[in-house]
Amino acid sequence: MSDAAGRGLDPLARVVTTEGAEPLFQTGDTVKVAMRFPVGHYRVPTYIRGKRARIEAVIVPPAINNEDEGFGRNAGIRRHYYRIAIPMRELWPQYRGPENDGLRIEVFETWLEGDDT
Amino acid sequence: MSSQAHDHVHLPDASDALPGYYEIMETAIRELLVDKKVFDAGEIRQMLEVMDTRTPALGSRIVARAWVDPAFRARLLANGRAAVEELGIDFFENTQLIVLENTDKVHNVVVCTLCSCYPREILGLPPDWYKLKPYRARTVKEPRAVLAEFGTVIPDDVEIRVSDSTSMIRYLVLPQRPEGTQNFTEEQLAALVTRDAMIGVVRASAPAKEKSR
Amino acid sequence: MTPTASLVKRLPTEMGGLDAGPVQRAEHEYAPWEKRCHALANVLDIHKIVNTEEKRRGIAALGSEMVAQLSYYERWIVAFANILFQKEILTPEELAKKMNEVAARHGHGAAA
Repeated sequence: MSDAAGRGLDPLARVVTTEGAEPLFQTGDTVKVAMRFPVGHYRVPTYIRGKRARIEAVIVPPAINNEDEGFGRNAGIRRHYYRIAIPMRELWPQYRGPENDGLRIEVFETWLEGDDT
Repeated sequence: MSSQAHDHVHLPDASDALPGYYEIMETAIRELLVDKKVFDAGEIRQMLEVMDTRTPALGSRIVARAWVDPAFRARLLANGRAAVEELGIDFFENTQLIVLENTDKVHNVVVCTLCSCYPREILGLPPDWYKLKPYRARTVKEPRAVLAEFGTVIPDDVEIRVSDSTSMIRYLVLPQRPEGTQNFTEEQLAALVTRDAMIGVVRASAPAKEKSR
Repeated sequence: MTPTASLVKRLPTEMGGLDAGPVQRAEHEYAPWEKRCHALANVLDIHKIVNTEEKRRGIAALGSEMVAQLSYYERWIVAFANILFQKEILTPEELAKKMNEVAARHGHGAAA
C-alpha cells in the first residue's frame, strides 16, 4: 500500500535511531575489554583490561559515558553499559578457587570489542 | 551587622568540640556556597534528615518482604529500584539497583575497587572496612579468603560472584532465608538480615536454638 | 616503559588486585562534619554543580600522597575545594579568608 508520495514503505521500518540508541552487543555475546590507559580519569579497572568476557545483561536506558562525566560533561551521546561476566581464572592465572568463580562488572560500550576468537 | 541570618547556622548535630582543619574547611565551603546562593542552608539540613533515615534496617525490610512475597521478590529481581520504590524509598539521580539473589549454587558479594559505591539509599553509609584497601584490593582476586575472614566459608561447589560497582548501578545481595524460619513474621525475618549479609560477606542466619521465641 | 608512566596510568584510588593485609573490622562513628560533607556532596550533585563522577576524579587528582594520608571525608572536602575553584565558583582567597573567620569563632588563630 503506497501513500500519495509513492514511498510505499512501513514508516516503522524506516526509523533511523540516534547514535548509541541501539546496543552494539547482546546478552550472551563474547567481548573483549579494550587495553588502553586513559589519563586523569577512568571507570574501567586495570585488572579487567584486555580480558575476555561474556555479556550477561544490557543495561537500559543508555547513559552518559562516566569517564566524560568526571570532567563535568553532564550531556552528550548516550550509549549502553553492559554487565559482563569474567571468570576468576581469566583475571588471575594463579587463581586457586573453583573455576566457576567469577566477576561481574558494568562497562561502558566504548570499552568493549566483539571477540570472535 | 550582616542581615544574613545564616552566618552561624547550627545544623543538627553541630559539634561543640573544637573543629579540626577539615571541619573548618567544610563549614567555610558550605557557608560561602550559601552566601552565593548556590543552594540554601535548608537543603543541607533536609539532606541530613534524609540520610539519617537510611540505615540497614531498610535493606532488611526489603529482604524480608522478598522472602515472604514471591511476586515482590520477582519484581525486585527484575527491577530493583522500581520494587524498592514501592516501599516508599526513593533513589537519587539515575541510580539503579540490581538485586543479587544467593542460591544453593551461587553466593554473591559486592565491592567497589575504584571508590566506594554502595547502595546508600537503602543501607545508609558503608562500614569503614568496605572503603579501605584490604577489602577493595583482595575481594576481586581472593573472595573466598576475604569471606573466610568474616567467618564465611562457601563450599567449592557453590559459585562465588563478585560484583565490582563502577557505574550508576548499585547492588544489594538477597541472602538465602535461614532454615527453620517458616513461621517467622516479616518483622522477625527482617531482624535476621544484617548489613553484612546484604553486602555478601556473611549469610543470614537464624537465631541460636537456645533462644526461644 | 617509562618508569614514571605507572604513576600516571594507575589512579591512586584504584585498589583492585593490589596486595593487602587482612580486613580490619573496626568501624568508627561518623562525625557530624563528615555527615555534613556527605550531604554537601549530594546537594552539589542534585544541582549538577559537582556530579558524583567529578568528585571521584577530583579525589584521585589529589595524588598518591594525599589519597593515602587523608581520611575519606578529608579527601572529599579538599577535592571539592579544588573543583569549585576550577569552576570559578569559589576562589582560593575567599576560602582562605572564610576558613580564618570560622576558625576564629572557636578561638583558633589562622585555620591550621
